[in-house]
Amino acid sequence: MKTLSVALVAAAFVGLVVRPAHAADEELKIGVVAAESGSFVSAGNTIVAAAKLATQQINDAGGIKIGGKTYKIKLYIRDNRTDVNVTIAAARELVDDIGVKAIWGTETHDFSVSMAKITGAAKVLQFSGNSSLGAVLDDKSVAPGGWLHYTFQSEPQEWQRSGSTAKGVLSLLTPLMAHPPKHSVVFVGNDATGQYLSSHYVKALEAEGQQVDLVKYPPDTTDFSPLLTRIKGMNPDIVHFWYNGDSTLTAFPQALKLEVAPAYFLFGVDPGIYQERQLKSDKPVTMSCVPVCWGSSPYPVVQDYFKKYFELGASKGPQSSVSLLYYDYFFMYAKALEEVGSIDQPDAVVDALLKMSYQGVVSPVPLTFNAHHQVTFATEVCLVKPGTSDDFNCTVEQPPPAPPPGDTGG
Amino acid sequence: MEIFIQQLVNSLSVASVTILIGIGITLIFGLAGIVNFAHGEFLMIGGMITWFLVTSGMNFFLALVGAMIFVGVLGFVAERGLFQFTLNRPMNGFIMSIGVSVILQHAVIRLFNEVQKTIPDPVGKVWVVGGVNVIAMRAVVVSLTAVVVAITYFGISRSRYGMALRASIADQETAELMGIPVRRYVTGVFVYGSVLAGLGGALMIALFPITPFTGSVLIIRGFAVSLIGGLGNVAGAVAGGLILGLVDGLSAGYGFPEWTDAYSLVVMIAILILRPQGLLGGTLGPRAT
Repeated sequence: MKTLSVALVAAAFVGLVVRPAHAADEELKIGVVAAESGSFVSAGNTIVAAAKLATQQINDAGGIKIGGKTYKIKLYIRDNRTDVNVTIAAARELVDDIGVKAIWGTETHDFSVSMAKITGAAKVLQFSGNSSLGAVLDDKSVAPGGWLHYTFQSEPQEWQRSGSTAKGVLSLLTPLMAHPPKHSVVFVGNDATGQYLSSHYVKALEAEGQQVDLVKYPPDTTDFSPLLTRIKGMNPDIVHFWYNGDSTLTAFPQALKLEVAPAYFLFGVDPGIYQERQLKSDKPVTMSCVPVCWGSSPYPVVQDYFKKYFELGASKGPQSSVSLLYYDYFFMYAKALEEVGSIDQPDAVVDALLKMSYQGVVSPVPLTFNAHHQVTFATEVCLVKPGTSDDFNCTVEQPPPAPPPGDTGG
Repeated sequence: MEIFIQQLVNSLSVASVTILIGIGITLIFGLAGIVNFAHGEFLMIGGMITWFLVTSGMNFFLALVGAMIFVGVLGFVAERGLFQFTLNRPMNGFIMSIGVSVILQHAVIRLFNEVQKTIPDPVGKVWVVGGVNVIAMRAVVVSLTAVVVAITYFGISRSRYGMALRASIADQETAELMGIPVRRYVTGVFVYGSVLAGLGGALMIALFPITPFTGSVLIIRGFAVSLIGGLGNVAGAVAGGLILGLVDGLSAGYGFPEWTDAYSLVVMIAILILRPQGLLGGTLGPRAT
């Protein structure tokens, strides 16, 4: 009896000493699956960098208060090597072995869909910043029990982004051209994402009165001169380099030397990298950023974001702004967990996110998810003054109210 | 017509870097008997070294020499430290070289990060001749490639060393009995092929941005060129490079552009079926025991 009493007292003492320290160490496991190598590395690294920044800020601010406990985020980052099989293996490990509560990533449609099959079955939330998810997010798939119920698309629908981009590009270029542009060539990488995105952008340009030709190039192309010469033979008014920022930064200087067109649009290229590379064109050039641009934004909150983003060691890549497709959602998720009061009620967290209005960095208008788990925000389009690398004139274009003719949405 | 001539000019410059990597592979694969799948990474490292030196303030052409020396030393270390142990088992060497390529990619990412690297055009001029835009740096690349091809061709076909090298490929044991230091020749060929990869990388970054993954894309074309022309055959590598360049340029200009890669690989398959020894003939490749 005496021994038992001593043991109980000792156990109570140990409990008193240990428990507070243990409580302070509650961990919220979050996975990040992104291309830290391979052809999507520029986009992939922005996800990792955004996740690290958001995590550091949340943890430094004291963590997340959930149900009387304080949680600190612990990131589990996996490189998918731009390979769908590695992506699936990483998602399996994160969900089954590590037990993460949510996953951020990946950057391409087919990878995200593959991962959603794993996260959905395990009731793990997934935030993917690629608009091509719109092809599968519908009433049935996002309903409770649906395979995408826990998946959120943290980028606007593609017809919205394409519509606002096309409008912004044409409005900025037209005053600088000898005659109003009528013929556009969209130059795009021939992979799943490129095909999906360009199909919407072509419709958006046609809705703006453009005659559009689509030229696809094999992914991993480095010498674009034969293809650009072909485009030159089409006599375009504007060449739109669409979708892959790294490829665009390879192709665009070649286009300038071959004098392919009187005006250009560079999708997925931040003004910041245009300035870093000291690119110059005597022809008018526009570029757009999915949410807001690195290198030109007049908003202090955005400037402050990129300052901290690069201070944390993020690379100055062509698509640094893509990080903003992931950053704000850490705070939204944290807020939803606090509202629910538990990290183990994913259905309640989904409901909380769908009801939430959150003022983030990505948009001056609060972020909300629609019934298909998709966000909506504007696109920033910038014109660089001919002959300069750093003189930008930017406009923020709101998405159109409805898909253009021939575009079924998604 | 101007567009057609522009495509022919494009084809020539497309072919140049391919020829450089093809010659390196054809020498190492066909003459030294080593299947080095990391050869593309050697080229990428040549580009990265050039980028590093140029962004540190060095003149491009000096940086080019620096890249050739660096990659040559890398080749020496790789051959002496790794590939010499797999000479009698080429498949082991092949698998090992895949590992080396991944290690080199990640070493470069660790050292320089993953973002694509670029340098200002070292010449920076475009000549417009009869409506055709001739990019001056591309003309430099074509000229340097022609010089390298000539030196390599005469070095192998006419010089005493070239004759000894060919003798050691034909019959290694007899060549050794005749006093030819076959092992040194293997090392020499490997280092020379690596130097050419360094040159190719330096010229490539003068034309296009490169990433740590550039080599893994180019290596397929390098092997295609060396097989089309005939292993160990420098003239064959030139012919192979020109054919692929022409197919690339004209198919991109007049075929389905998204199939550009497929056209050149179909040509390679057709040639290898019709002429298994390559267009101009060559060695039988690595010797398996």
